[in-house]
Amino acid sequence: MPEHADPFSHARAEHGWLNVDCDGENVPLILRLKDVRKTCKDTSTFSSDLPPLIVLHSEAHVRDVRQLPIECDPPDHTDYRALVQPLFDRAKNDPDYMESIRSLVDEMVRTAIGKGELDAVRGFALPMQSRALTRLLRMPESEADVWIGWGVHVFHDRDDGGGEGFLLQSYTGGQFRRAEENPGDDFFSYLNQVEFRGRKLTFEEKQGFANVTFAGGRDTVINTVGSIFAYLGDHPEALDFLREDEARILTACEEFVRYVSPLTAIARKCPHATRLLDEQDVPAGGRVALCWPSANRDESVFDQPHDVKLDRSPNPHIGFGFGPHNCLGAPHARLIIRSLLRSLCDRVERVELIKAVPKVEKESSFTRQVGYESVLVRMIPRAAGD
Amino acid sequence: MPKVTYITPEGERVVVEQAEGTLMSAAVENQVSGIDGDCGGVCSCATCHVHVDEAWTDKVGPAGEGEKGLLELEDGVEENSRLGCQVKLTPELDGLVVRVVGR
Ligand code: HEM
Ligand code: FES
Repeated sequence: MPEHADPFSHARAEHGWLNVDCDGENVPLILRLKDVRKTCKDTSTFSSDLPPLIVLHSEAHVRDVRQLPIECDPPDHTDYRALVQPLFDRAKNDPDYMESIRSLVDEMVRTAIGKGELDAVRGFALPMQSRALTRLLRMPESEADVWIGWGVHVFHDRDDGGGEGFLLQSYTGGQFRRAEENPGDDFFSYLNQVEFRGRKLTFEEKQGFANVTFAGGRDTVINTVGSIFAYLGDHPEALDFLREDEARILTACEEFVRYVSPLTAIARKCPHATRLLDEQDVPAGGRVALCWPSANRDESVFDQPHDVKLDRSPNPHIGFGFGPHNCLGAPHARLIIRSLLRSLCDRVERVELIKAVPKVEKESSFTRQVGYESVLVRMIPRAAGD
Repeated sequence: MPKVTYITPEGERVVVEQAEGTLMSAAVENQVSGIDGDCGGVCSCATCHVHVDEAWTDKVGPAGEGEKGLLELEDGVEENSRLGCQVKLTPELDGLVVRVVGR
């Protein structure tokens, strides 16, 4: 199978949707970019009020809280989101914060060069994601060691496919209690103190915010970064191409997010029976799903959609979602990816790929690569003064 | 390079002399409120939505195909809507006035 192949092109052209069997429930994936966008906007027909089913397969075995702000609809969603938005937006409007992530990533690239052979997934992307998150959440950097120990996906990172149970919830619950006794300026203390519609948040609500913050931004970032290393290893000319023009750091970041689209699908629930795309009936209470990777390869929108064009612009991808629920962590993710590309351009002559093992998701009607299990590389430093 | 006036969602007039790049990048450079430019200007995020002053719509021109796809579903979209990152600043646009839509 060619890497990062698009398993949806046939169904996208034929019907615009593809049925998936999710533990006995039939869920149509919406495949075309324009249809996905419209669905995202129509929150009364396509509701996000569906805990714990915002992903294809129920997460009831790993959490019992409603993830916030993702698993609710406007107007609640608007108010919940506004509580945490300023925290996430520091990644685009706080110069000190932005500089701190840049220097963290740069230091990690420097260290990685010195290591010789390295797994860019577990030896680089995972620790980088965790350490960057400590800064976003204003937690001590040593906390990253605990998070790294959870693996790539905190809900299912074991060989047998089993999860770590309520590990994440018990960790974040402990942090809220710690912050009660010993408040600081960190994320947990903030949620303990903040007022929502004239009252404090409940423990459940706080747990809901913490749950998606830890789970949502983890494998997505790691899979994108792993895929970037595999790509650079396969395309020795790419770093030189990026070095030619400053603006390519920005376009390349968006193109990697489009091309990799690490999140396969996010669901919506139809409170009323709905006819999808004039063809497919969804019963009241049934789900549909937004298929970001398919939308991002839509031939009617993207020229040569299956090619990586590091200077692609315009690039109207929806890798970070669309509409009211668009990714809150996008500024942070973009800051990490742009900082990484910048540091690689500055410090690395080329990336040598030794071995890459794709990470594949299997569903009833398709199989797709979401990233890599491991990407063994060696980074060749640039000669001083280059 | 042209002079551009941004009228922010709060009604403030921000005048940028010698504006460079695009309507988005010049606004971000000058911290014009309501223009974030999240995606770096590739027409993906719509955080650079402006209404072009009626006197300037012809010179600025209409939205491109990909841009229309985004604008179609944006709140506050009008005939004269453009995504700032898709408008290159050229000397002909000297004096341009736009209203920032914001969110
Ligand atoms: C490349 C990395 C990432 C990708 C591709 C990605 C993708 C997405 C997508 C497609 C959505 C929309 C979900 C929906 O419509 O229901 C979303 C929402 C969200 N993401 Fe991300 N994400 C990334 C990184 C992050 C990071 C780093 C964080 C946190 C630190 C994060 C936190 C969230 C949250 C909280 C939401 C829900 C927003 C809301 O409901 O208003 N994401 N993400
Ligand atoms: S800056 Fe993202 S669409 Fe214009």
